[in-house]
Amino acid sequence: MDVFITGTGWITALGAGLAEVWDAVLCGTAAPVRELAGPPGHRAHFAAPVPANLVDSVARNPRLRRSSNISLFAAAAGLAALTDAGVDPASAGKCAIIFATCDGGVIYTRKFYDQVVRDGAGSPLLFPETVYNAPGSHVAALLGLDGITYTLVGDASAGLAAVELGVQLLASGQADQCLVVGAEEADWILCEAYRQWRLSGSGVGSNRGALIADGAAAIVLSREGRYRLQSVSCGVPFFRQSEAAASLEAALGQLRLPVAPARVISSANGTFVDRAEQSAIEAAYGPGIPVIYPKISLGDPFGAGALMQIICAVQSLRQDPEGSVLVPVIGLNHQAAAAVVS
Amino acid sequence: MTSPEPTGSASVAIVAAGIISPLGRGLEATARALRAGSDCVTQVTAFDVSSARCHTAGQIPDEWIEDLRASRASRRFHRASLMMIAAIRELRALDPGFAPRQVVIGATGGGMTFGEAFFRSLGAGAQDRRRAGWLANYNPQKPVLDAQEDAGFRVPSIIIANACASGTNAIGHAFELIRCGRHDAILCGGYDALSEMVFRGFDSLQASTPEKIRPFDAARTGLVLGEGAALLALENREHALARGARILGLVTGYGISTDTHHITQPHPSGIGPRLAMERALGSAGCAAESVDYINAHGTATTFNDATEGLAIAQLFGNRVPVSSTKSMMGHALGGAGAIEAVISLLAIREGLLPPNINFSACDPAWDLRIVANRPGVATVRRVLSNSFGFGGTNASLVIESAGSN
Repeated sequence: MDVFITGTGWITALGAGLAEVWDAVLCGTAAPVRELAGPPGHRAHFAAPVPANLVDSVARNPRLRRSSNISLFAAAAGLAALTDAGVDPASAGKCAIIFATCDGGVIYTRKFYDQVVRDGAGSPLLFPETVYNAPGSHVAALLGLDGITYTLVGDASAGLAAVELGVQLLASGQADQCLVVGAEEADWILCEAYRQWRLSGSGVGSNRGALIADGAAAIVLSREGRYRLQSVSCGVPFFRQSEAAASLEAALGQLRLPVAPARVISSANGTFVDRAEQSAIEAAYGPGIPVIYPKISLGDPFGAGALMQIICAVQSLRQDPEGSVLVPVIGLNHQAAAAVVS
Repeated sequence: MTSPEPTGSASVAIVAAGIISPLGRGLEATARALRAGSDCVTQVTAFDVSSARCHTAGQIPDEWIEDLRASRASRRFHRASLMMIAAIRELRALDPGFAPRQVVIGATGGGMTFGEAFFRSLGAGAQDRRRAGWLANYNPQKPVLDAQEDAGFRVPSIIIANACASGTNAIGHAFELIRCGRHDAILCGGYDALSEMVFRGFDSLQASTPEKIRPFDAARTGLVLGEGAALLALENREHALARGARILGLVTGYGISTDTHHITQPHPSGIGPRLAMERALGSAGCAAESVDYINAHGTATTFNDATEGLAIAQLFGNRVPVSSTKSMMGHALGGAGAIEAVISLLAIREGLLPPNINFSACDPAWDLRIVANRPGVATVRRVLSNSFGFGGTNASLVIESAGSN
């Protein structure tokens, strides 16, 4: 069974317009960064935030008035993708929602636990929003869907695992359409944690660590459409960073591409991922395939990163429909995976 | 939306299982605790609960998992990793030939205690070399990878974080993947370890109780948390028989629904649980009358039991024995659905109706046949196991005896 991408939407540090953000990526425009102050005695960090005005309309919804940024991003991107696909959720038949994230609602988690440590109790308004599936639940509520809603957690590869799950739901007949959403929110504590893990950097385009970013990306999968999801590998685990290149190479092998892709939308983010990805792609297809690096512009919204790469692949096919576009993903501590769009 | 038709034809067998929970480490210890109706909820010792409303939880004693810290790497493992390793080793011992093509695991908290330690270390202002390791262990995939590496299962894994329904969703999704022919063998289940942050979260909502947990009781006052891990080896039945595997039971149905009423409260009509149960029965192609036992979600919160009790009464009347085994061990969140699936399997194997302990009188809002305080003896061929969670996520499984198909 063929699966197609019928709609896309994103909320990024560079804006929410599909063409506008894609042009900025192609030009290498870097997203504005914001300084995030930490507790007294700790260094500040920089992250790429989503402009607040991009989520104003969803933030006014009563269901979302107390929700965290990650839920607002997910809702805005999901609604944009459905609009792009021309889907009315009320008449969408069996429409499944699959939400992917890496660190989840970290801002409310930090605030809630801070209250616990300081005051011995946390706010009941905050706790429900710390649960990983809160954004997916809010999206389902906004759309009025009572069927399948899954939340997947992992590293950046969770985005492609969500796409693969969508393909499975369509293939098994459990769903007629799938809204796949990935989202992440930046916070000082997240930046500090990744810095101490030696995986985050301090500036856009740095090759010394990821620039952590806000953002969400969403795609609609269906059995008919223009952009075909030619193949998705379901992921190959790695137990240590030194195994990442071999895992991606195995994932690329699972794609069984008859010819090399026309171009690559990279997951490179300034960490060990960059070299591992380059090594695996060259081993699989040889050198010389054009590579586009969206995270230089957008930063790395981990749980949304793979779906942003997919949207970049669709945007590139809108400009040049020849050939296929490879989306490789190496996460930081779980799996490598890959997809091809044509 | 009506119950979906079965989407594939493959029969899905359970060929092995592994479990660790406050009830015991291993299938036999768990069965003994169920037969005894043991109350395994104890005073919380892992962190300070003096200012909390609730002071108890179902906890796995450290000595049950300390033997798993033998290797240098495993000395740094989170409790959740050790629980997962305990479960996977038992499963492999039951069927060493089981070779999964995918892993599907449910979890909610992951390595939250590492996040707590990281946060507290920042407040202390000290540089601590362990912080990098704390983050690497924070994400829910880490215990899964640790267990996979221990077992030598280098296959893809997905982590479903659908709150308290996660474990049931993981088993249900694995069931669907085998039934539709996508894979022949999948390792699935769920886990969660007790953490201060989540404990305080339920306390903040006043969902947890300072008293005993009394599911479906008229005088119920809330839940207590638990912890644990449970795994099932699911395999295409023909594939399993061809390699000579022993069939312990079958998964025959799975239903899922989303209740969009409120993020922490189900719709009072019980529509969410009812849809999940109806869909599971439809998926299994069986009638409500054919169910021999219901392992309820039964958290003992006002809202859950009101809606689940109503939905069960609407669908099954008072004919089917119902119990919540959370009464014995607390609510293991992402691990609960998987633990209760294994308990359902044991109910079939042992001809046992696990008890709903601490029970005095049924809530007069419905008439349910609660397995009160002592286990029952019955021929159990088909079990419905329920899990419902935050965000309105609802899931039900149908588990049957190996002779059913």
